[in-house]
Amino acid sequence: MRVLAIMVNALTSSELKHDRVTLVDALDKVLEKGAVINGDIVIRVADVDLVFLGLRLFLSSVSKAEEVSGKCLGNSHKELTSEDRAYIERLQREIKKAEENIPKIINANSPQETEQGLAKLVLTLVELIRKLMEKEAFRRVKQGTLSPAEIQKLGLSLKAVKKKIKEIQTVFGIEDEELNLDLGPLGNLM
Amino acid sequence: MNGLYLYCIRERMEGAPAISSQGMDGKGEVFTLAYRDIEAVISPVSLAEFASEEIQHKAQNDLPWIKDKALIHEGVVEEAIQKRGGGLFSLIPMRFGAVFNARAGIEAMLAKDYLKIVQVLDKIRGNQEWNVKVYLSDKALLERMIKTQNTAIQEKEKELAAMPEGMAFFMEEELKAVVAGESAKVMTQLVETIFDRINSNAVALVKNRILEKELTGRRDPMVLNTACLIPATRIEAFKKGIESIRRDIQPQGLVIEIGGPWPSYNFCGY
Repeated sequence: MRVLAIMVNALTSSELKHDRVTLVDALDKVLEKGAVINGDIVIRVADVDLVFLGLRLFLSSVSKAEEVSGKCLGNSHKELTSEDRAYIERLQREIKKAEENIPKIINANSPQETEQGLAKLVLTLVELIRKLMEKEAFRRVKQGTLSPAEIQKLGLSLKAVKKKIKEIQTVFGIEDEELNLDLGPLGNLM
Repeated sequence: MNGLYLYCIRERMEGAPAISSQGMDGKGEVFTLAYRDIEAVISPVSLAEFASEEIQHKAQNDLPWIKDKALIHEGVVEEAIQKRGGGLFSLIPMRFGAVFNARAGIEAMLAKDYLKIVQVLDKIRGNQEWNVKVYLSDKALLERMIKTQNTAIQEKEKELAAMPEGMAFFMEEELKAVVAGESAKVMTQLVETIFDRINSNAVALVKNRILEKELTGRRDPMVLNTACLIPATRIEAFKKGIESIRRDIQPQGLVIEIGGPWPSYNFCGY
């Protein structure tokens, strides 16, 4: 179906006799459906369905290594120190600030278009890392190798990063779906 | 050297209008080749342009060519299905790319497959093909509906409200996963119900592949893609049925769209 997509996207507005839906339907039917004849036929169009292998990036996780070596990091009985409390408060302030900023930026109606391309790229990579970190964090929380204080800090940190990314997106007018990279034959990054 | 491109096979009737669309090569006439009470709709094409390796090469490197030719194909079929003065021929559309060396090959094919062809034409006659597609346009609405009906989820939400923010972050993600799982289950049931309801007005019904967003050009994902064969006499009932489904699925965040009539691309295999 990727071939179909390339064809449809290559249309110029003057070529569109039908609307997009009818066009996609027409191409789908003519190329993929309809009766097929066996007989004295000169040609059969090659099966035009090109399948791209979606290779996913596999990253080994620290948790797996921990399981194998039998180590258990972290002390489940740790209480919140005053340092922890200060850190937690700081994170909560950051989250609040970002939450307050986003509507302000939207109201000022000024998404900045300059350097948007670069911002998109940077944010995409940061978002990828954030997602990986989040997965890893989940694994550890499930394993029970973290204390409640550590879970608190971890959760707030991840939430703060998420909100910050959202804030920067708003500044540059970048939608969630745009945070992705097309790696060609490898498929999309995320 | 010229070959013959085959667009479709239809029932043969006196007084069928000549087909004015240009054929595959942009200049040749489109004409018919008769055999008993059926006929093939064909036009001359250059064998050099339509040779096997050429087409395979184009499928890799010249997609606009394939697209243009596919649209010409559909244009000829759309015209070939029209009877003079309204009404439609019973017609089997071919898949793109059937080219014969000579008339003799087409005649031989029509003779050999005559009974099967007639069987399919009889099945199609008096029926129209329509597509029905369903999209999930408001995922949030569906999820809200699921939450109100699921006490386990409501319990978890209460727990979450009582937690400190950092821990709540993880519980939230877990909850999202649970809700997504429930949504998938509910969606499957809804889709099956819709499918059964459409079936009640159809002579035949097939599920087709879900089309990706890059094809539909829409933000909302497709959840059902069907083609149905509806008797012309039941078209109004079919459309009313769709309207009724539309009303029923709206509170669940789903929208339904239909397209047609189409030549019976999905119901002409033999």
